[in-house]
Amino acid sequence: MPTLSLILNGKEVSVEVEPGDLLVHVLRDKLGLIGTKVSCGEGECGSCTVLVDGLTVTSCIYPALKAQGREVTTIEGLAKGTQLHPIQQAFVDVTAPQCGYCIPGMVLSAKALLDENPHPTEEEIKKGISGNVCRCTGYYQIVEAIELAAQRMAGEGGAP
Amino acid sequence: MSTRVLGQSVPKKDAATKVRGSRRFPQDFNMEGQLHATVVWSEYPHARVAKVDTSQAEAAPGVVKVITAGDVPLNEYGIIIPDQPVLVAEGDKVRWVGDRIAIVVARSEGAAREARRLVEVEYEPLPAVGDPREAMKPDAPIVHDERGDSNVFRHVKIRKGDWEKGFAEADVVVESYFVTPYVEHVYMQPDAGIGYIDEEGRVTVISSAQWPDHDLRQIAPMLKLPQEQVREIVPAIGGAFGGREDMHVQHLLALCAYCVRQPVKMVFDRSEVMTRTGKRHPWYVKYRTGARKDGTLTAVEVEIISDSGAYASTTVPVLEAGTSFAAGPYVVPNARVDSYAVYTNNAVTMAMRGFGTTQAALIYEMQMSKLAHALGMDGVELRMKNLFEDGSIGLTGHEMPQGVGIRETLKQVAAAAGWKEEDGHWVKPDVGAPSAPHKRRGLAVTCGLKNVGYSFGSDDKATVGVQLALHESGEIARVTVLSGACDVGMGAQTFLAQMAAEALGVDYEQVRVAMVDTLKVPDSGSCSASRLVWISGNALVRACREALKKRDQILMAETGETFVEAEYEFRGQSVQQTRPYDRETGMTVPHFTYGYAAQVALVEVDTETGETEILKFWAAQDAGKAVNPAMVKGQAAGGVHMGVGYALTEEYIQQEGVPKTRHLADYYVPTVMDMPHDFESITVEVPDPTGPYGAKGIGEMTTLPTAPAILSAIHDAVGVWIDQFPATAERVWWAMRGRK
Amino acid sequence: MWDDYLFPQSVEEALEVLHARDGEARIIAGGTDLALQSQGGRVQARVMVDITRIPGLDHIEERDGYVYIGARATHAQVAASPFIQSRGGVLAEACGSVGGPQIRNVGTLVGNVVNALPAADGAIGLTALDAEAEVAERKGWRWVPVAELYAGVGRCTVDSCVAMITQLRFRALGDGEGSAFERLAKRKALILPILNACVVVGLEDGTVERARVAIGPVATTPFVATDAAEWLIGRTADASAAAEAARLAAQAAQPRYSLLRGSAEYRKSMVEVLVRRALSRALAQASGEEGGNADA
Repeated sequence: MPTLSLILNGKEVSVEVEPGDLLVHVLRDKLGLIGTKVSCGEGECGSCTVLVDGLTVTSCIYPALKAQGREVTTIEGLAKGTQLHPIQQAFVDVTAPQCGYCIPGMVLSAKALLDENPHPTEEEIKKGISGNVCRCTGYYQIVEAIELAAQRMAGEGGAP
Repeated sequence: MSTRVLGQSVPKKDAATKVRGSRRFPQDFNMEGQLHATVVWSEYPHARVAKVDTSQAEAAPGVVKVITAGDVPLNEYGIIIPDQPVLVAEGDKVRWVGDRIAIVVARSEGAAREARRLVEVEYEPLPAVGDPREAMKPDAPIVHDERGDSNVFRHVKIRKGDWEKGFAEADVVVESYFVTPYVEHVYMQPDAGIGYIDEEGRVTVISSAQWPDHDLRQIAPMLKLPQEQVREIVPAIGGAFGGREDMHVQHLLALCAYCVRQPVKMVFDRSEVMTRTGKRHPWYVKYRTGARKDGTLTAVEVEIISDSGAYASTTVPVLEAGTSFAAGPYVVPNARVDSYAVYTNNAVTMAMRGFGTTQAALIYEMQMSKLAHALGMDGVELRMKNLFEDGSIGLTGHEMPQGVGIRETLKQVAAAAGWKEEDGHWVKPDVGAPSAPHKRRGLAVTCGLKNVGYSFGSDDKATVGVQLALHESGEIARVTVLSGACDVGMGAQTFLAQMAAEALGVDYEQVRVAMVDTLKVPDSGSCSASRLVWISGNALVRACREALKKRDQILMAETGETFVEAEYEFRGQSVQQTRPYDRETGMTVPHFTYGYAAQVALVEVDTETGETEILKFWAAQDAGKAVNPAMVKGQAAGGVHMGVGYALTEEYIQQEGVPKTRHLADYYVPTVMDMPHDFESITVEVPDPTGPYGAKGIGEMTTLPTAPAILSAIHDAVGVWIDQFPATAERVWWAMRGRK
Repeated sequence: MWDDYLFPQSVEEALEVLHARDGEARIIAGGTDLALQSQGGRVQARVMVDITRIPGLDHIEERDGYVYIGARATHAQVAASPFIQSRGGVLAEACGSVGGPQIRNVGTLVGNVVNALPAADGAIGLTALDAEAEVAERKGWRWVPVAELYAGVGRCTVDSCVAMITQLRFRALGDGEGSAFERLAKRKALILPILNACVVVGLEDGTVERARVAIGPVATTPFVATDAAEWLIGRTADASAAAEAARLAAQAAQPRYSLLRGSAEYRKSMVEVLVRRALSRALAQASGEEGGNADA
């Protein structure tokens, strides 16, 4: 079996994989990182979103070996111990999560967006999560959370 | 009444684990030595199963067992009547593609999926019927031969006043034929779970669910076990919307564990969820409304044909509920309503947000919008002329109970959207110029209502327990709420904690809500019917009072105990007695209490393509008392989201019982880009005297006015009525050209 | 699903592997189509040859008046490239509408062409730009017009078990030229189109000198409305010209009823609407009204 070596949430990790394994299953089943969710299995909803070299990908259709040598960030890589990442904290403060299943994907899409564009307009935020489907929230509080996170990360403070 | 914790948008109890991704959903669990199971599904919508040969599958690598009908102690289940086979036996029929023939249990998911292809099933296909109107005809294929020679299994009748006279008195009569679509719930978390035998020998299931105790009431008889020997644990639910009221995996997992005595995991893929689980009932409706020229309604005549799909599920309560609201929140002195539940070989239709009242709102509000147009009357004004108040007589002859907040809700949403009231007349605001010459703008208002809790004499009840850990001083240190109430995402854990904190005089942070495990928490009834805030809340508040009494007794007696426990069973019938429909007249007291919503849509229609864009949307909902305002706002937005899909993009397509919509790529849930550009949520609080702190349910109400608001706004924009939903671009385009 | 997953370090190495495995191996780029197809049992090959690490295939640049796009370029990169936006705007718009951000980050434009679906936005854009693809095989490399790569729905004339596309090129648009993309779909993201229209025009003193109109899906392959384009040559660039050309395009297109996309009549009517809108924008851009293409 080939070995997949990558930098996973900042740490070097190696794991044996089948050539046909998809990244989401390696993360969930071989590495025990269940924060990345499988919802559609077709790359159509974004629940399985992870970052590969800082860019969002739908890990349910991403061959695991494609990530060879890359930096991969899953939802588990954001918080530092008990300290939530500002994006996560903003989601909590604005009461964005309902059932929570789409949330890891949403948070990572938000991270990729804010890393590239720290001062996004509302339209840019919406475009940034246009590949993430949610059935509970109607998206508004998620957009609010990302706006709040952007303000806070830019040092502008801001209460929900 | 002012409250301390109630009414605050406190952070949800489960928010942190959900943003971390650490909260485990059923598929996120793994047990030592677990096996994997897959289902062998029916290949036909209607067929006799002549032969089932599992020998090749059993011999396949990694396979531990192939479970068939003969392995099921009592091969039947069903949420109301046990009319569904767990596994279809040789010689019996499959009635839709969601019927199951066998379950393959293997050492890996891959081995199970491979092996299920080796189960050989011989079918004798039978003619399938895919339209309930066809199924009602005398020569239609019969879906349930054992129930007689008709596919119609329930006929609800309402005969109120003198409907012929009512129509004779009308100056205007509006007549429509509506067809509403099959809708898929699309909860984001696919059905999944683990079945195993716990340390005390109980058959245990970890799964998402809406009513774990009711699941056990089906699982126990299926396994011929006493209910104490079965157990269900619900760790987190990735959305439900009614779609998990019926069991999809729980009984299968229990059966697997029972048969192999080892942990067995099953995860549906999205295609299985899409094509093999239940849908929202479509309605085929003929509706006539009569009114005087001043707008007063005089009569309605409605015929509803509802497709039940292959099995009964909750078709009858859905039809009964929907029928009771056929005329909406309006006083209608004369009515004739006939509703039919019909079997077909389509997907089993079941509960979905609104439970029949969503379809009802779509049809009665479209009728009201058409009537307003026919009378040249403003939409708010026409509605205000007929809307319920406390004490108004409803369609089934009952008095509306105190707390009818619909006028206030409609008033607030209309005002927010720019309507002005002048001497009892309502004047619509100007919608502004369209953004391009080929576009037209439209604005419309709608409203709706729904019952809270179960209906028609059902003994709806909830038991909630509370445990207090005390300091030596007797002050409360920590509180644990014990309830079988499932948090499907709307925040049940949070609002129960807030209510407990309020009732006990402690801080929200001191309260914890125990995970739902039927072994450890009491039966609080289902997460459905927008009932949890009201019925579990009522039980919780009383349990808290009991607990405080006990605590005071301990202090008085100076026993030094530092633990108090109390439990309370609250019955809906204790505040409002309801009864079944009268079989001939339909007169009854149908429901405990109600929740209300009103909404406004501002749309722009592209006259060249038929596309509708929603520029702005206002949603007002009467929550009685908003326990957590941010959560109420979330319900408003989520309800509107489903309504946008219902109105414009979502349609589950089957042809004679064969699914055409098979993947998520084929079913168009609105993305963020499809939602109204601007959204305003208004929470109204007209207290419900029977609700805890005046609170009433809201989760379903927020989806009722949405689709008719959008569709009415389309008419306001381009002058066409769309009566077959969703109003896709092509349907609107044809309507604009005067054709269907 | 697969028996092997390889990262060749050069095009030559990739072609060697394909040759050595004799039909058992095939090229994979982003894999956004292939992973699903493999899961569905629709891919015969057992060895995936991933070209996304081959040096020299990741360029988006101009040389001698042509825009070159390497096989590794993703939809996101093409859409975001200020260079493509000014030299071939229709392609940037088309690539920006594919799927959602995650798909655009991984899926390549070349992969979109090889997947050969008539609804493919990027491919329609390339067709309108009269783009060519460099096809590399062991027996030689050659340039082939993108429009000639389609053998049918889902069938590219480039056999991915034997050959690969290394780059695309089209003549860079300049002053006096304009392009535009219009799309109709059942929702605004994460969806294939009911219809898309891509047009490229060139003007000289307010008269149309060059025009190309590509549409999909109205046939099994990208549809080039040659009658409409020919009619435009020599006409004054105005609204009535756009309208007439659109009408001709709609006349020539022969979509059929589709459960997914709609009735033949609606689809045909939408061809007129989208082509007219795309032409109006492209002509305005070419006249310098909408900030035309930037000079080098």
